[in-house]
Amino acid sequence: MSPRPWWSKLGHGSLILLAVVYCLFPIYFMLVQSLKTPEEDVFGNPFIVMNPTLENFEELFERKSEVRGFVGDALRRSYPFVDWIANTLFVFAGSVLATLVISVAAGYALGRLRPPGFRWWRRAMFATYVVPQTILFIPLFQVVQALSLDDSMLALLLVYPSMALPFCVWMLSAYFQHLPREVEEAALIEGASRATAFFRIILPMSRPVLVAAGIFTLGTIASDFMIASVFLLSPQNQTITAGLGTFDVALDELAAVAGVNLLAIPVVTISAVFARGFVRGLTASMLEGA
Amino acid sequence: MGRAREIRLAYLLLAPALLLLLTVLAYPVGWEVWTSFTDLSPLKDGSTSYVGLANYGRLLAGAEFWQAAFVTIAYALVTSVAKLALGLGFALLLARPFRGRVLVFLAVFLPWAYPAGVSVIGWYWTLNPPTTTAYAPFMGQLKFVVDGAFGTGAWAFVSVVLFNIWRGSSFIGVLLLAGINAVPPELFECAVLESKSAWRRFWLVTVPLLKPFLALAVFLSLTSAFADLANVWMLTAGRIVFPIIGTHAYFLAIKAGQFGPASALSLTLVPVLLGLLLVLFRYFDPPRQETA
Repeated sequence: MSPRPWWSKLGHGSLILLAVVYCLFPIYFMLVQSLKTPEEDVFGNPFIVMNPTLENFEELFERKSEVRGFVGDALRRSYPFVDWIANTLFVFAGSVLATLVISVAAGYALGRLRPPGFRWWRRAMFATYVVPQTILFIPLFQVVQALSLDDSMLALLLVYPSMALPFCVWMLSAYFQHLPREVEEAALIEGASRATAFFRIILPMSRPVLVAAGIFTLGTIASDFMIASVFLLSPQNQTITAGLGTFDVALDELAAVAGVNLLAIPVVTISAVFARGFVRGLTASMLEGA
Repeated sequence: MGRAREIRLAYLLLAPALLLLLTVLAYPVGWEVWTSFTDLSPLKDGSTSYVGLANYGRLLAGAEFWQAAFVTIAYALVTSVAKLALGLGFALLLARPFRGRVLVFLAVFLPWAYPAGVSVIGWYWTLNPPTTTAYAPFMGQLKFVVDGAFGTGAWAFVSVVLFNIWRGSSFIGVLLLAGINAVPPELFECAVLESKSAWRRFWLVTVPLLKPFLALAVFLSLTSAFADLANVWMLTAGRIVFPIIGTHAYFLAIKAGQFGPASALSLTLVPVLLGLLLVLFRYFDPPRQETA
């Protein structure tokens, strides 16, 4: 092929620039806001920060109900932010782990052992996505109460995996289905058990797909706002998402944006580290007859 | 291992997934279906009575439902088309190697990876800033202009649409990129020899090859748009002037205490989505011949 002319390169470059700006601008904007002092928030340029400060982040941790100004402490709530971080870690890690274990088992069963009608099992699970979540939390709350999990993080550990499970099972079972039989047959012939063959051979080679399922789960549960804020009521049991939802817009804007960033930074870092694995895993599960 | 034992093992391994979905979905969905035939309400004393299809009847007769249905469809269509177009654009941009591709890929991946449960809060305050912030007057103007042209609440609706597109196009871009990677590169190279026009190649080669991924993307994008309640609720802070079916059902249940009509309303989405899914299954989960 002939080298591309300069205008084609320029067009390609500017498209890329546009895409990057479009994707990053909202995130940049939130980051800038969280670094601002109240003075600059009021009088400064909204797009840049002249005197970056971490005071909003510090405030999340230190805020006690000290009296400030004439309004008094009624408007200066304190937040158990450290608890929120611990709760979020527990809920997110637990949900991702539970989702992975359950969907690997189901994916292996459907893709490898193939019980009669396995395709329909898979489709039925995927079809749970058509159930609108809208007011489902009302009966769901009854279930949670019946299991005496109300106001407990365990309730989220029950609900979150179910949100990502159908897609993960679909992905993993498609992947396992596409693996050639020979992969484990040699081991089985040599007398290894099915379990050994699975843990020694299949699981290690499935890493990209596991990464993809894990990242998908993390992205799904990190996007939940409803469930967390409806099911977790007492402040010390809340996750960051549920807690930030209780912030007052006008008074705590900067602190809340700082809180948003504080949750975003670890989630984004984990996702970024595994981002290429995510694509590779998605590809692997979609390759026809690979 | 015998086939019978294999099958038993399969059901054993399936059990946790099924049990989880049953716990979380079976009772709630059953409750919703049953409630849609009753006049259950937390505000009402006395026993709940069975009202048959009355809730559905009243729903279909009322103008509110059709308005909500119209807005929902418009919302789903607009966001899905935009997300697919942008996502496809991202995927095609990233399919070819260039310097700094990894960084651009990360940038495209970020809107989805950025936790939406909290970024929606950030969006809300960015688009509806407290009156003290420096750019509040500008945003106020914008809101005023948009609301003035399309009616009160239009700005809030636009901000929901923008958020949904921003986040969704990122996921679809990554999904389609994975799809492009799954297609053997020779096929694209052949296409270049066959036809000089990039536009024709796009429609005759790229789109058909990506069909399964596009179908999956369409489904995930539509369900997220139809079921999108939290985002609408959050971004409009409860002032639902442009109701979509989800938010209207939420309003009926929580603010008006009418569980029956609310259940009926949210169930109207199920047949539509189910029909769509059955059509789309043909593309992304075809009854393929066994590979082994």
